[in-house]
Amino acid sequence: MFRQVKRRTAGRRNFEESNNKKLDYDLPKLYSCRLSFYDLPPTREITLEEFEKWAIDRLKILIEIESCNARSKSLKEIESSIRGLLLKYLPLSENQNIEERMKDHYSHYILRLVFCRTEELRKKFIKNETILFKVRYNSLQPREQQEFIELNKYKLSSWEYVTPQEKSELFDKLFASSYLMLKSHFLSGGENLTYDEVKQHVLIKENFIKLPFEKITNLVGTRSIYLHNGYGYLPTSLQLNLLSIEFQENLSLQLMKTFQTIPRLEEDDRLLPLLNNLSKSFSSFKYDTEMDPALISDINATSITSNSISKHFPLCAKHLQNNLIANSHLKYGGRQQLGLFLKGIGLNVDEAIKYWSHQFTKGGSMTVDTFNKEYKYNIRHQYGLEGARINYKPWDCSTILSKPRPNKNEYHGCPYRDFSIDKLVSSLNSMGINDQQELNSIVDDVGRHDYTIACTRVFELTHKSQIKNSQDSHINHPNLYFDRSRLLERGQNKEA
Amino acid sequence: MPVEQFEDESINKGSKKPSESDMLYYYKRLLPFRQIFQWLSHSPKPTKDFTFREFAYEHRSGAYQRYNSYTSLEDFKQTVINANPTRFEIGAVYKINPKDRKNLPKSVMKPVSKELVFDIDLTDYDDIRTCCQGTDICCKCWKFIQVGSKIIEFSLRQDFGFQHLIWVFSGRRGAHCWISDIRARNLDENSRRSIVEYLDILGKNGNKKSIKKPYHPHIERSFEILKNEFNNIVLTDQDPWFTDSTMSSDSKNWKCVDDLLSFIPNKELSKELKSKWQKDIHSTSKDKWEDINTIASKVLKSKSEVNYLNDAKKDIIIYFMYPRLDIEVSRQIIHLLKSPFCIHPGTGNVCVPFNPFKNISDNKEDDEYGFNPLNSPNIRDIQNELENYNKGNNELHDWEKTSLKPYIEYFSHFVNELTKEELKKRSRDNENENNLEF
Ligand SMILES: [Zn+2]
Repeated sequence: MFRQVKRRTAGRRNFEESNNKKLDYDLPKLYSCRLSFYDLPPTREITLEEFEKWAIDRLKILIEIESCNARSKSLKEIESSIRGLLLKYLPLSENQNIEERMKDHYSHYILRLVFCRTEELRKKFIKNETILFKVRYNSLQPREQQEFIELNKYKLSSWEYVTPQEKSELFDKLFASSYLMLKSHFLSGGENLTYDEVKQHVLIKENFIKLPFEKITNLVGTRSIYLHNGYGYLPTSLQLNLLSIEFQENLSLQLMKTFQTIPRLEEDDRLLPLLNNLSKSFSSFKYDTEMDPALISDINATSITSNSISKHFPLCAKHLQNNLIANSHLKYGGRQQLGLFLKGIGLNVDEAIKYWSHQFTKGGSMTVDTFNKEYKYNIRHQYGLEGARINYKPWDCSTILSKPRPNKNEYHGCPYRDFSIDKLVSSLNSMGINDQQELNSIVDDVGRHDYTIACTRVFELTHKSQIKNSQDSHINHPNLYFDRSRLLERGQNKEA
Repeated sequence: MPVEQFEDESINKGSKKPSESDMLYYYKRLLPFRQIFQWLSHSPKPTKDFTFREFAYEHRSGAYQRYNSYTSLEDFKQTVINANPTRFEIGAVYKINPKDRKNLPKSVMKPVSKELVFDIDLTDYDDIRTCCQGTDICCKCWKFIQVGSKIIEFSLRQDFGFQHLIWVFSGRRGAHCWISDIRARNLDENSRRSIVEYLDILGKNGNKKSIKKPYHPHIERSFEILKNEFNNIVLTDQDPWFTDSTMSSDSKNWKCVDDLLSFIPNKELSKELKSKWQKDIHSTSKDKWEDINTIASKVLKSKSEVNYLNDAKKDIIIYFMYPRLDIEVSRQIIHLLKSPFCIHPGTGNVCVPFNPFKNISDNKEDDEYGFNPLNSPNIRDIQNELENYNKGNNELHDWEKTSLKPYIEYFSHFVNELTKEELKKRSRDNENENNLEF
């Protein structure tokens, strides 16, 4: 295995120094609530495998949040987008499951090491962790929320609950002060409440806390709360903002401290590459292709050119196939990109050879013999049947974007990056996107170089009628686009 | 960073400017050093709040000398007399003695605390003032400061819970508010900024966007104060929207009228009003204010249109009368501000404290104004008062023999209340410390 001792010291020292004082606590207390400000660093040993696995699992969730965020999803939408992922990779159940809480705790601290190293990474990490914190706070039972606040009293000592009597005495003022902020709070959650509905809500549902105005200067400056005698009155719905500011500030401070201790971590030659890899994979996360034979029975050399299959292709694959059909040829980059994509959707090696040979010879400019001599090997190679016998995986978006851009008569790459705006818009038109505002939002994404976000948006727009609740997620792989599209179609057929 | 500059002599009669010997006389015999010292030390004895405090001088030459500090009341008085500046300003309390800053790295020269301060100045009201312009003031336009200081004071006391605040006449056309509560002194710049932003409802340069509804309780309370004064101050005294048939369409009055019309939410109504007023041979602000209702009852059809107009009328009252604040003065901890009881170098007026709610001058004539800047003590007057005092009562301080008396008494009361609370707090802290030790 590996040297447990060294790993332990390396990690431990960093965690501890990042908190700057000697800590004395035991596990039940540390994990007594499923939500955490992560104030206390972990001290127990874990294996290198756990170290990596836990970090990657948490990373998957942060990546999804990042992607939702880039598409300006509301907190509610993000919640539903990551619900499944959370259950799978980072569950935190209500019962005292120490294992789960430990994984959450450790993975957070490991990613601190990963993300503390540049300003940009720190910002991303803080932003996404804060959203995760909010999502989790919202999923707590009200009882747990109170327990959590109780547990963190030492941070939030200045919180004081307003009695029902005081609330009813001050009601008009409390309402007039908080109306606009509550209104936009609900709006960001997708609920458009009327003036009277907000009033009812404040009357019935909102409790208020009061705290020294110095703690909430941003709300004071915008006149978003009621102020009396040096105290600001904050409705329950907005208390999460306050908690998350606390969380954010805390994390930002801790990340800087971690950053300052990182050089000492480099003594451990096995951790650094691991951390480097993790931070790299944040921007290019690998999509695993898992194939179910039952789902690929209709994939063969002829069906893939039919509309019933190719309508599920993302624009890059469509573009490649269209040009292959039109020119009876594709250059190397295009063959690689399309070939592996087709492999990913379930086209087996025999069907692949049939497909490519037909396409290359149908125009009459190439004989089957030439094809077999010059191109067959290449296809078998893709399937790991020749050469190094590597089972090549379909390219994900970041691989596609990292390859040289297509030259004239080349069609690989990412259309969102490589097309002129006019060409892109007319391609989008032919996919059924005609609304000017929708087109603009895609062009905006492209302008920001957020190509996968543009592609995800296109997916959402072209599947509007099938997507019921926004359980979808960021598309960073052409095969994910295809699979998800087919899945939606199957779901619809089942219903019908 | 002097807040007010010297004005050129063409505006101010040269005779009003105090001479070097006037100033020396005033510092030696009249300026209440003890009260100022105790106010800043929060104790009758020198504390770090006083000894680590920055003072700055403005000299007759125009030179500005920062980072002075004093060890005691005597040192304070003697050093000011020796320097004989045209005025001195009060800055922040620092972590170290500001005098020692030269021998220490810059980073230790950190401001620790300072009174929270506000500055309202009549020059910011020039778009609505018709009685005076620029540095001139009269009793009419002082009413803007009067009502403004009430609004600020209500909020500081009721919303922020401050208790120890005092308003000081800036000597010419404005007023400063000093808040001395320990909580206010310890505010960081972020909190100071949030307080000014909270109070500064018009935003930078008097934002003309409509104020959000429902009004925040602070705005509602301010409106209640302003609406009672609107008729008197704006419609009657200032009459900014007065027009008659002789005025050209690009006169200041017509610009003010357009300003007024820009608040009217209904295009048709504002068109109708303008064409009526253009035809009127003689139309005062009061006439126009009434016209708005009369024409509206003909033009506006729905209840909601009427509601919008009523909201807009409230906005107008607030827009033209709400105090306009200098944000930087309040936000920066290191900002220096002229000390109370200094002499304004241009006017010779004493920067006396005043009560926005009640006249304290003992002069019945002033009661109408609360504080009347035109009758406020001037260095020449009080010199004469002192020279002509011949009751031979040696038990009195010199200032008690002049019209400064009620102002210094008012200030002393303020300082005593503040000191009492500080002492209480200090003994509480000591007790707690002792409890910890034993
Ligand atoms: Zn005037």
